[in-house]
Amino acid sequence: MVNIGLFTQIVINGLLLGGIYVTIGVGFSLAFGVLEVVDFAVGEYVMIGAFTGALLTPLLGAEGVFVIPIVLISFFALGALIQPMIHHVTTGDRPHPLLMGLVFTFGLATLLRGSVLSIFGPNNRDVPSSLLTGGVEISGVGTFPVVRTVTAVFGVSALVVFMYYLYRTTGGMAIRAIAEDRTNARLMGININRYQSIAYGAYAALTGSAGVFIGMTFTANPGMGLQYTAFAFFMVVLAGMGYLPGVIVAGIVLGLTQSFTAVYISGNLVLLVLFAIIYVVLLISPAGILGRGEWAT
Amino acid sequence: MSETTSVTNRIPGSRRYWYVGLGALMITWPIIFGNFWARIGVGALMWIGLAQSWNMIGGYAGYLDFGHGAYFGIGAFAAGIAMVQFGYPFVVGFALAIVVSIAISYLVAVPTLRLTGAYFAIATWAFAEAVKQAALITGITGGTFGLSLPRSPDTFIGVALPFQIGETFFYYAMLMLCMATMSLTYYLFERHEFGYRVKALRDDQDAAESLGIDTTRVKRQVYVLSCVVAAVFGSVHAWYIVYIHPNDVLATIITDRMVIMALLGGLGTLTGPVVGGLLVFLLQRLSSVFLGSTTFYLPLIGILIMITVLFAPSGIIGILRGEIDRNDVRQNVKDLGEKFNLL
Repeated sequence: MVNIGLFTQIVINGLLLGGIYVTIGVGFSLAFGVLEVVDFAVGEYVMIGAFTGALLTPLLGAEGVFVIPIVLISFFALGALIQPMIHHVTTGDRPHPLLMGLVFTFGLATLLRGSVLSIFGPNNRDVPSSLLTGGVEISGVGTFPVVRTVTAVFGVSALVVFMYYLYRTTGGMAIRAIAEDRTNARLMGININRYQSIAYGAYAALTGSAGVFIGMTFTANPGMGLQYTAFAFFMVVLAGMGYLPGVIVAGIVLGLTQSFTAVYISGNLVLLVLFAIIYVVLLISPAGILGRGEWAT
Repeated sequence: MSETTSVTNRIPGSRRYWYVGLGALMITWPIIFGNFWARIGVGALMWIGLAQSWNMIGGYAGYLDFGHGAYFGIGAFAAGIAMVQFGYPFVVGFALAIVVSIAISYLVAVPTLRLTGAYFAIATWAFAEAVKQAALITGITGGTFGLSLPRSPDTFIGVALPFQIGETFFYYAMLMLCMATMSLTYYLFERHEFGYRVKALRDDQDAAESLGIDTTRVKRQVYVLSCVVAAVFGSVHAWYIVYIHPNDVLATIITDRMVIMALLGGLGTLTGPVVGGLLVFLLQRLSSVFLGSTTFYLPLIGILIMITVLFAPSGIIGILRGEIDRNDVRQNVKDLGEKFNLL
């Protein structure tokens, strides 16, 4: 007999988690579309986002929410400055440029994880927040924890703003044009350096601020990045590389999978189940379960 | 080139003495320098071998295997399980590591090598992480407790041997394995027709296919070969460090190190992994000795990877051979600077 109350509570938790994963997945998918590189550093942006939250919160009146604007701006700048390097290693006269891009982000991930581990040690840190505590109970449905709800609302609204920029403004059109065909976009007079930097910066900002919220929901830990890299891969593999609407579905599937596996099977098995799904989907349908993604080479 | 041309004929006279001296130094190393340096030697030789094994699939064949460390762990656990759970001597564990790694890598190769580029990298990465998670929850690997391997003199071949199995023993074991790996790489990838097939498929798979090369078969051969080499080193490593745990022998950092060693030295070259392996291993050792930090080498490795990829993609060997000179690096810096023109 399935406990209905528990069941709906798991669905609520899963959907709320999915909201923030979608933010990570959309940025990641866009970075792939624009730079044609699979970014192994995605989880590390989440991790340093959470750590920035943990370190700056005591300076800002113990309120994690106030860190968000700082993280958005600083991570945008960070991403905008990292992008030219990725662009450099994936173009120009060198053997296997795309593989070099992969190796570069692999190095970047090691650098970020290693620096945080060396400087701050391996311990967990909390991102405290006094505003986002408790939960709102709706009788007959379940409890909505405030942290997770605000997190999901942030995720969805960031997504809406981002999508608006991407599909309704000239700059967004330029970014989509680059994702479509970099050379032709350049021939049309688009400053590809600039728009690639905007796209990668936006991705870093989204991912970093998602990290602050994840730190508030769970905790901040130098080793947490790996898990979110896995989550990001899971979403784009499920959705198909570079296919944004699919990522939204995949993020919600991920949130639900995580909360159901944790409750009904075992928390230890969450990653194993996800990796198994990634592997199988890659082999059966490399363009995603919806079949709309790009083939990467 | 005629078949009778021997290796010695190709080495210029003056250099021959260097090779002889180097060989003599490596053979007498633990006798001259003692246990501490023998220990350093064991680590260096193992990492050179591992870097070379990654270089086979990642460098020569151009398939970035980001889950290669899984086979190191599989080899370690094959030896560990044979010795601890079944009480067999090490040679059985060693043989088991080879058999198991061939079986697993072949089963993984058949579906996974259909993928290319980033998809192959993600799939192998996911495979390695899944192996680690599986090792942590199954009972036969000791789960989160790990395994402690026996190392008394009768655990090698089942009968008591007249010598201690210590640093010197492992030094010579690693030296033999490392030399075997190097010779195999030299013969297969630099001299044999097989190497040309592998390089052809790396440079252009369709063109290689059209020339009658069975690329699927060649890819599987390279993948299985490189995985078996990693597993062999893993099994000896398990017996050497005596205690194995999934978080150690299946750690992601093992793959990271293999990648950076091969890349820093020079991908797809015979000597690249040797130079890169020595450099990264010593860097890690020195940073833990002089800086007292065991994690400080991580950001150093990360920065090294980034700088190598940015400015000298053919690695240190490329610089030593004169393929890249100062002007190329300067041009690279200039190109990179132009890409920062964001406004």
